Amino acid sequence: MARSVTTQRKLIFTIIGWSIGFLIFFPILWTFLTSFKTEGTAVATPPQFLFFDWTLENYHEVQSRSDYGKHVMNSIVISVGSTLLGLALAIPAAWAMAFSPTKRTKDILMWMLSTKMMPSVGVLVPLYLIFRDWGLLDSRLGLVAVLTMINLPIIVWMLYTYFKEIPGEILEAARMDGASLMKEIIYVLTPMAVPGIASTMLLNIILAWNEAFWTLNLTAANAAPLTAFIASYSSPEGLFWAKLSAASTMAIAPILIMGWFSQKQLVRGLTFGAVK
Amino acid sequence: MKTFSLLSNRAGALFLAPAAALIGVFVIIPFFWVIVVSFTNRTLLGSTALNPDFVGFQNYIALFNPLTFFSRGQFGFSLILTTQFVLLSALVGQALLGLILAWLSQTVSPKIKSFLQTAVIAAWILPEVVIGFAWFAFLDFDNGTLNMILRGLGLPPGDWLLQNPFWVIVVFNTWRGAAFSMMLFNSAFQSIPPSYFQAADVAGASSLQKLRDIALPLIKGHVVTDLILITMWTFNVFTPFLLTNGGPSYRTELLSIYTYRIAFKDFEFGKGAAVGVIIMLINLAFALVYLRMARKKPAEAD
Repeated sequence: MARSVTTQRKLIFTIIGWSIGFLIFFPILWTFLTSFKTEGTAVATPPQFLFFDWTLENYHEVQSRSDYGKHVMNSIVISVGSTLLGLALAIPAAWAMAFSPTKRTKDILMWMLSTKMMPSVGVLVPLYLIFRDWGLLDSRLGLVAVLTMINLPIIVWMLYTYFKEIPGEILEAARMDGASLMKEIIYVLTPMAVPGIASTMLLNIILAWNEAFWTLNLTAANAAPLTAFIASYSSPEGLFWAKLSAASTMAIAPILIMGWFSQKQLVRGLTFGAVK
Repeated sequence: MKTFSLLSNRAGALFLAPAAALIGVFVIIPFFWVIVVSFTNRTLLGSTALNPDFVGFQNYIALFNPLTFFSRGQFGFSLILTTQFVLLSALVGQALLGLILAWLSQTVSPKIKSFLQTAVIAAWILPEVVIGFAWFAFLDFDNGTLNMILRGLGLPPGDWLLQNPFWVIVVFNTWRGAAFSMMLFNSAFQSIPPSYFQAADVAGASSLQKLRDIALPLIKGHVVTDLILITMWTFNVFTPFLLTNGGPSYRTELLSIYTYRIAFKDFEFGKGAAVGVIIMLINLAFALVYLRMARKKPAEAD
């Protein structure tokens, strides 16, 4: 008796689980499906779920627009560039805080993190003016600089939590065995730090790739990455849903692939290490 | 564990300096700029762009003018709207949905659990531009998917973005941000020893009783952390702009969108900066509360 109740309950939970998951996933799934429809089927009533003539026409169309490739390049340059620059600045900082902590380390970390709590809109106005005066508007260089600065606190924080997990005993043991500082860094620390650096890098590339607020406001035609491109695409061509869906799908594909492989690290990074 | 040091303090400071300096510059310059400009009548174009006049507290007085405070498209209206938005979409929507999802994840099979997580995280990490478009296409009156489904079922379609724009952005933000609460609660639940629940099972407790009497009291700290953080994020969120543009007729104009409009569409930098200062003060209050909590529990801040 008790068993049948539990089975029934399990079944209900299973159904609820699948349906909530499906509902949450629906808008994304739908965009993906629409990208394979013709403009006509995309707005057909009743909506066609799976049984329509799948077509790659929209992807060809988006691909053939010469400027699409440029925006992809911009996205790559900006996200990878700002990530590498950020890492170059953050690795020494996180290293210092994790391995030679002082009384103020915790305060510095908290202060860095708290800068993420400043409203972007407040920073935008002065930054916009500085950019205008220095001729950095609509340039890749300017965007790399901005995104580096914006994400730097997260990079430092992430790296710090990873470096902190490297046990000090290992270093002491290596020192006992007569390893020099240089040898310690090369043979002991680096191999242990690489996974943390890699996941931080991945997370930051995704963050920079997604960035819309800054890219929309600081770029026009030249340096616009994919996100800004899609935003500009959606107003004049708002009626061409299938094409816009194809463009969107192409814009998010790298994120989905990277996210798939690094779900756990991603969660850790996006929650500032609150979830491990 | 003995604290040991790999770098000398001086080398450590040297390592730390570039990153700290950059963050400092990036924060401190805008911070003071905004405060200074908020006392001027600076605009983007025209004669006051280069030679703004000092106007004292005029911008602030204009914002808090009791005659217009509550009318649409004004500061007070936006502030109240934002408060409602935070209450409904963050504290009720995200936290509750996250809690339900996390609790559900404890019961269902690993396959469903990972499906749920993937869906929620996908909603969270995709670029806001794409998400904004997807939701727009979903809710459009003429060709939106939701209305097509409703028509297919013989139900009356609704003009969601025009008639209920506020509820649209509430649902949207709940959907978009549930992941954080879910993941946080998930890891909190997992930190509870399973024997507690087994004992409750033996005593014949229902799922709801276990949640209310065992799980929630034990994860109280996580709940508070979650609520403070999502309040802060939702308060500053700009994404609904991509869905509704703050309209129709200012009905979804949250504070961040309001500031944006004042500064970048009306080009009144001085007034926009004044709003920015107020937003920063509110954020500072949230941040202080949070940092205090985080310091109390060093284990969690790690």
